[in-house]
Amino acid sequence: MRGIISAVSTAFSVLLFTSQPAASQDGDIDRLIERGRSVAIAGDCMACHRTAEADGKPYAGGYTISSPMGPIVAPNISPSKEFGIGNWTETQFVDAVRNGVSPGGYLYPAMPYTAYRGMTDQDAHALYVYLTKGTKPVDEAPQAKTDLPFPFNQRILMLGWNVLFNSAIPFQETAAAPGGHERGKYLVDTLAHCGACHTPRNLFMAENNDSYLAGGDVGGWHAPNITSDAVSGIGAWKNEEIVAYLKHGNAAGKSQAAGPMAEAVEHSFRHMPDTDLEAIATYLKTVPPVRAEGQTTPGFARSDAKAADLGQLDYGIDRDPKAMETGTSTNGEQLYVSACATCHQVNGKGTQDHFYPSLTNNRAVGGMTSNNLVMAVVDGVHRKTNDFTVQMPAFGEELSNAQIAAVSNYVLHRFGNEDLHVTEANVITLRNGGEKPLLVKATPWLMAGSVALAAIMLAASAFVWSRRRSRKHAAHEANPGDLQPLKR
Amino acid sequence: MASQFDADVIVIGSGAIGTNAAHLLAQRGKSVIILEAGEWIPRWKIVENFRSSPRKNNLNDPYPNFPWGMSSFDEDYIENTGNFNYVPYQLQLVGGTTWHWAAATWRFLPNDMKMKSLYGVSNDWPMEYSELEPWYDLAERNLGVAGSDTDDQSGRSGPAHPPRSAPYPVPAEGETYYFQRLKARIGAEGYSFIHEPNGRTNKPYDGRPACSGNNNCMPVCPIGAMYSGDVHARHAEKAGAKIITDATAYKLEKGEGGKIIAVHYRSSTGADVRLTAKTFVVAANGIETPKLLLLSDVANSNDLVGRHLMDHSGISLIFTADEPLWPGRGQVQQGAIFKWRDGDFRGQHSAIKHAPHNNVPNRDVAELLLRQGVVGPELDERIRHMSARWVVIESMFETLPHATNRVTLSKTKKDALGIPTLSFNYDLDGDAYVERARDLCMDDYGNFVRAMGGTVINDKTGWQNHAHVMGTVMMGTDPKTSVTNHEGRTWDHDNLFLATTGVLPSSSVLNPTLAGIALGLRTADIIAREV
Repeated sequence: MRGIISAVSTAFSVLLFTSQPAASQDGDIDRLIERGRSVAIAGDCMACHRTAEADGKPYAGGYTISSPMGPIVAPNISPSKEFGIGNWTETQFVDAVRNGVSPGGYLYPAMPYTAYRGMTDQDAHALYVYLTKGTKPVDEAPQAKTDLPFPFNQRILMLGWNVLFNSAIPFQETAAAPGGHERGKYLVDTLAHCGACHTPRNLFMAENNDSYLAGGDVGGWHAPNITSDAVSGIGAWKNEEIVAYLKHGNAAGKSQAAGPMAEAVEHSFRHMPDTDLEAIATYLKTVPPVRAEGQTTPGFARSDAKAADLGQLDYGIDRDPKAMETGTSTNGEQLYVSACATCHQVNGKGTQDHFYPSLTNNRAVGGMTSNNLVMAVVDGVHRKTNDFTVQMPAFGEELSNAQIAAVSNYVLHRFGNEDLHVTEANVITLRNGGEKPLLVKATPWLMAGSVALAAIMLAASAFVWSRRRSRKHAAHEANPGDLQPLKR
Repeated sequence: MASQFDADVIVIGSGAIGTNAAHLLAQRGKSVIILEAGEWIPRWKIVENFRSSPRKNNLNDPYPNFPWGMSSFDEDYIENTGNFNYVPYQLQLVGGTTWHWAAATWRFLPNDMKMKSLYGVSNDWPMEYSELEPWYDLAERNLGVAGSDTDDQSGRSGPAHPPRSAPYPVPAEGETYYFQRLKARIGAEGYSFIHEPNGRTNKPYDGRPACSGNNNCMPVCPIGAMYSGDVHARHAEKAGAKIITDATAYKLEKGEGGKIIAVHYRSSTGADVRLTAKTFVVAANGIETPKLLLLSDVANSNDLVGRHLMDHSGISLIFTADEPLWPGRGQVQQGAIFKWRDGDFRGQHSAIKHAPHNNVPNRDVAELLLRQGVVGPELDERIRHMSARWVVIESMFETLPHATNRVTLSKTKKDALGIPTLSFNYDLDGDAYVERARDLCMDDYGNFVRAMGGTVINDKTGWQNHAHVMGTVMMGTDPKTSVTNHEGRTWDHDNLFLATTGVLPSSSVLNPTLAGIALGLRTADIIAREV
């Protein structure tokens, strides 16, 4: 019911807004399109609404987002009348962006509409104008189709989910526009939807607001704590380092972006103005600190590699031909020296210019989880920056899971957090998308019993996404069960 | 119908040519089996084998040498009867010999393919350059070839040549200081310096990282920036092809109507397996391909299989320059020096490609000084001094196809699987075509040393070959004088195709692998339309 009310109120607000005089001059349209383009970049629309292949047509869709429920294919949102959003009215468009309700039905929250719900009316309008008038129509549908298993293919379930979880309030233009006092917060919470990955979930897969931006798990990767905590978060980072990280994916001696964050840098942050990146950094420094239990050393602060006996590294090997062709060793040191040290160096310090990053002073190695280390080995690192493209090769095919565990443990032990330990089973879990949420795992059992209906209700309320997940921004918190009408 | 066969197409050999062809066939929906005599060996293991090898200058030493898959450096595998000791360097593992090439990926010039009609020597190719051009383009995209879109590779300093339908997929890398200085001083003497197109990508490409100048292309790139055939072995697998390792093909079985109906392979344990297919592609290198045909007595009704062996035989020069050039930074080779590249002279003597080598020279320098008895602080000082000024020029000559230069089966030796080993007859001394080029090359060397204010270390290397195997199963237009037609299809068996640099009927002075891959892709496209 509340979803319906909110949809109606959204439509009403949009009608009010769009009843203003239309832009009368080309310059106004151009400015509007330019603003919409900026919104699309900050909103990282291209991260998902791209083609399955790299460098395809913009907004053509087809890219597959892996969710714990199954693969979800991003649709075509180009202005194509037949295959895209060319026939959508602005009301329909804004309803999709803010409420997750498109002319075709309910969207899955892989589309981060719970964050976009905070979008200012002006930005929502500009985004509509940009996507319908500022981009080229792509007259073809993605080849793949979203086909989730029952019960998740019942999109109507999203009605209930939205009632529970989609309750943000739009920001006001004066506060959220560039230079506004809430600009950083607006970018973090709404357009860049940082919390979709960086805020953890509770048992019911709703976000845990006590741990706002304290770190979450994303398809095997870990989105780290970005609160102002000096040990667990980014409180000890200089603002310039945060900006450099967002812009280049590299805060030398602290952390490098890989996996989904590398995509965010590639498609979004590197294209944003420095003033916006600075606003994000400034805001993140005000986010209430959350300390990970038991953590006393920042992930990036482990600077001293444990000494290696170089004589031991210069070992002789078995020159028997069978031994020379057998690459199944699970000796982590042997694997590190021959597979990793060419770039990261035997001492783990990388290269002086930081092109090959150090493994000491590296959050992926010294932090409280080994997920990002393991996933970087499995998938490699691919990140386009404005200066060059970073490519660490993937070792997921060349090394076995046991070898990946072994080399990860060697790296953790010598260069990072030696309390962490990776097993072969951990590697298998991570490369298959990480630990499934309890409720997804439980669904088949619930379905098997006579409580199918309960399962559906439960699953509906627990719909969770590995790549882009919803969150309410804390200050605009709505009490559960209490609908806040959209304000203008 | 497909169920009557084990596969639509069986490709014998998992090197760069075989896997590129197999990948295209699998992409077109064909069922494909690739047979490989060796195994998958992960890169890190080869790197470890290299680092622990005491024989750093033996390119094959990091790779296993089995009694059933012998290295070409194994005296039990290769015997020679000619006046040159021929060693072909081939490797047996998934990915093949491109594990230790330097990834030079030139295109042949249109004139290189018309040697007979233009200059009256060697052979014309049974196709125009324009027919091969689209396949060169695909091959370059598969390998991520870096090249200059403006160089005139004919060495005439004219417009960009040979013609291209698309730019190089990766731009040329920057020039090393070493190359810049050689170009400035030797180029002033009238020599053309041309960037060498290469498969060592300098930007991330197809999952490969950018080259970072480890200077270790041969015997193994430690980071996989340099293309090797394992890249398309993986791509072919993902596209549905099946790779069977430890499978040494030793017999192609003939059926009715000149068809090949099966291939027999033997594993290292001696187990024999027979596989059937509609079409067979032998992509087992320019040496092992004729070996399999000779073992099977197929495609050889005119007794040409294994004959007309051509390599880029040549000589080299080592000197120290009068200024520090800092060789060894960046890639192992960057370009070519041309004076005798193309022209009417090719009727009389070989074209010549000079390749300045950019290997880290410390080891060679140290060995030289130690042999001279230099020790102590002077040794350190002189290693530093000479290593900074060390120049190596390797020169390659075009060779002509002679029926007597050939590979045959050994009459006396067999390997552990009971398969005959190889015998070569390769003569260079007495071949006026290359000897004339050698004299001109020595003149060039004099100019190079003078231009660089140099001191000669060695200009009497004797003949050297470069494992650029061509001609052994050459293609042509006449069944009497060639083994295959322009499609790579053997004249004797219409479902047997050869995809190897062995089909090249003239040698030019250019590393032939890219031509082999382009021809193999073209062959695969023809098969895909038939099967």
